[in-house]
Amino acid sequence: MIKKIYLIGNPNVGKSVIFSRLTGVQVISSNYPGTTVEISKGYLQLDAGKVEVVDLPGTYSMESTSSAEEVAVSLLKEHPKNEIAVINILDSTNLERNLLLTLGLIEEGYPVIVCLNMCDEAGHRGVTIDIKKLESILHVPVVSTCAVTGIGVKSMIERIRETVPVSRGRLNREERWKEIGNIVEQVQRLEHRHHSLREMLEDASIQPFTGLIMACGVIYVSFKFVRFIGEAIINKVTDPVFFNLYQPLLEKMTFYWQEKGFWFHLLIGDLINGKIDFKQSLGVLTTAPYIEFGMVLPYVISFYFILSLLEDIGYLPRLAILLDNILHRLGLHGYAIIPVLLGFGCNVPGILSTRVLESKRERFIASTIISIGVPCVPLQAMIFGLLGAFGGYYVGGVYLVLFCLIIILGVILNRAMPGYSPEFLLEIPSYRFPPLLMLGRKLFFRVKGFLIEAVPIVLIGVLFINILLYFKLFDIITNIFAPLIKGVFGLPKEAIVALVIGFLRKDVAVGMLMPLSLSAKQLFIAATLLAISFPCVATFIVLWKELGLKDLIKSALIMITVSVIMGGLLNFVILR
Amino acid sequence: MGGGEIIIAIKRGCVYNLFMKKMSLAQIKANSKGKITEILGGANLQSKLMNMGVRSGKEFTKLSHIGLEGPVVIKVGRSILALGHSIASKIIVEPE
Repeated sequence: MIKKIYLIGNPNVGKSVIFSRLTGVQVISSNYPGTTVEISKGYLQLDAGKVEVVDLPGTYSMESTSSAEEVAVSLLKEHPKNEIAVINILDSTNLERNLLLTLGLIEEGYPVIVCLNMCDEAGHRGVTIDIKKLESILHVPVVSTCAVTGIGVKSMIERIRETVPVSRGRLNREERWKEIGNIVEQVQRLEHRHHSLREMLEDASIQPFTGLIMACGVIYVSFKFVRFIGEAIINKVTDPVFFNLYQPLLEKMTFYWQEKGFWFHLLIGDLINGKIDFKQSLGVLTTAPYIEFGMVLPYVISFYFILSLLEDIGYLPRLAILLDNILHRLGLHGYAIIPVLLGFGCNVPGILSTRVLESKRERFIASTIISIGVPCVPLQAMIFGLLGAFGGYYVGGVYLVLFCLIIILGVILNRAMPGYSPEFLLEIPSYRFPPLLMLGRKLFFRVKGFLIEAVPIVLIGVLFINILLYFKLFDIITNIFAPLIKGVFGLPKEAIVALVIGFLRKDVAVGMLMPLSLSAKQLFIAATLLAISFPCVATFIVLWKELGLKDLIKSALIMITVSVIMGGLLNFVILR
Repeated sequence: MGGGEIIIAIKRGCVYNLFMKKMSLAQIKANSKGKITEILGGANLQSKLMNMGVRSGKEFTKLSHIGLEGPVVIKVGRSILALGHSIASKIIVEPE
């Protein structure tokens, strides 16, 4: 009786896609190793009952050489071997290396079913595998699947019950590799294929010179596309809805609203020249939805679309190679670019994915850098919306300051913290063109995640702010911090409200700056300060969970110091 | 002169014999082929590399080397691997 099913395999062989196919639970998969940082669980209908399915992190062998591998192997040992089934997923295009884990699993007596995934890819590359023969050599069921299209998954499910432990003599390392060599020779046939355009592109993207040109091109085009798609959504969809549909509706409502008291202030906010101004009214029904849906959401959609595309094509590990040099100086290695890029969407998944980094030191540096120097999409969208009006010059300035800050901070942390920078060791996947359906699902999944996380906090946040403003409770904080805000940062003292709100949500905080009618330079300072000061509360909680209290306090102290210094410095340099 | 060369070689993390044909993966030219003869370094690194298909006796192609002590990209078997510079200098190879 099977009580639990485990999915195990080398990194980046498509375990998460198979997992989604088996359980219907949507997990994010990407074309780079180490996407699965959290263990996902789901259920599969097998025979009469439901069986739990567990997606284990990628592992190369049964001898654990990294923390992710340790987790995978220890989870396998949780249940008696006769109560589980192990689905070992292999990359058909790389049989030799993948078989090491398979032999290890069979030798240890696990009931295994071998799943040769990416069969379509193997076909393209001229690799044919004799499944019947492999089955007779290994004495375990072998199936061929293509998880992305779903081919073979059904017959795999049917054969899960056939898994039984088989006895197989234990081999030492050398014997095992020899055995693998023998097996591969018997079952695999290779056809020589000429270099395709794809292989030429794969090669060009890792060469020092052409790679750098390609990287610049990819980053530039991605950036342009994110703006283009975002603006298109705003101009064609959200703005017309807000201004032609929603505003007349609200105005009709306010027309009949005789007494403009507490509730009016809460829901609609202030009228600007007798009219509702979505950017300045600051009501729960006016500014709150406009910030989230009219200014931020379009860019969240466009950013995640482009990021998901780059992820699934498999470009990011190549970018990691090119950036390894720079990141090494910051105490990280090239692979840290993945958490950083995810952090540009939202700092929360960015910091969660620092788990792909090996040491605690690296995770601390990466998390601190992300929370200080990497602005999330909501914040960026608002900065573009506000500061963009004064010219791209200022927006570029914010990015430049943040970039310099990341570099300086990284170099200092690397020097100051004990320990050393670990070395880069990464398998580079080949380019794959992602099926649009999968891309769409991933995008939907991420945008949904954003909405669930952001909308309640924004609505409650604006409500809360309005209550405080109505009863003039902010005045106390304003007056206490006035010397710092006015004297050091050169901002009007009311800007403290925005900085405090920044702890709740960054996009609302920038929204709070809108009615203050700041000059371009003041806005520049305020926006930069919001980016580098304390991260929002969601990020803060994740930092706490990932780093522990002691390191969180250390990180927070760095953040406060850096923002005070930077605010003062910017004020001194550009305002005076 | 000879002494100087050896000191340079030691500094780069390759104590290996300069006068023989053996050199490290970090030293061999990009776009050349060879055979891995030995892996220096700790047991953990050795087994990690071995699990990824890098072991002595294996033939490889060095695809690229990013300058200024950047990573080395090789093709071993059917996989493409990127190795940090100091790992690459611990892999002793014999050029073809």
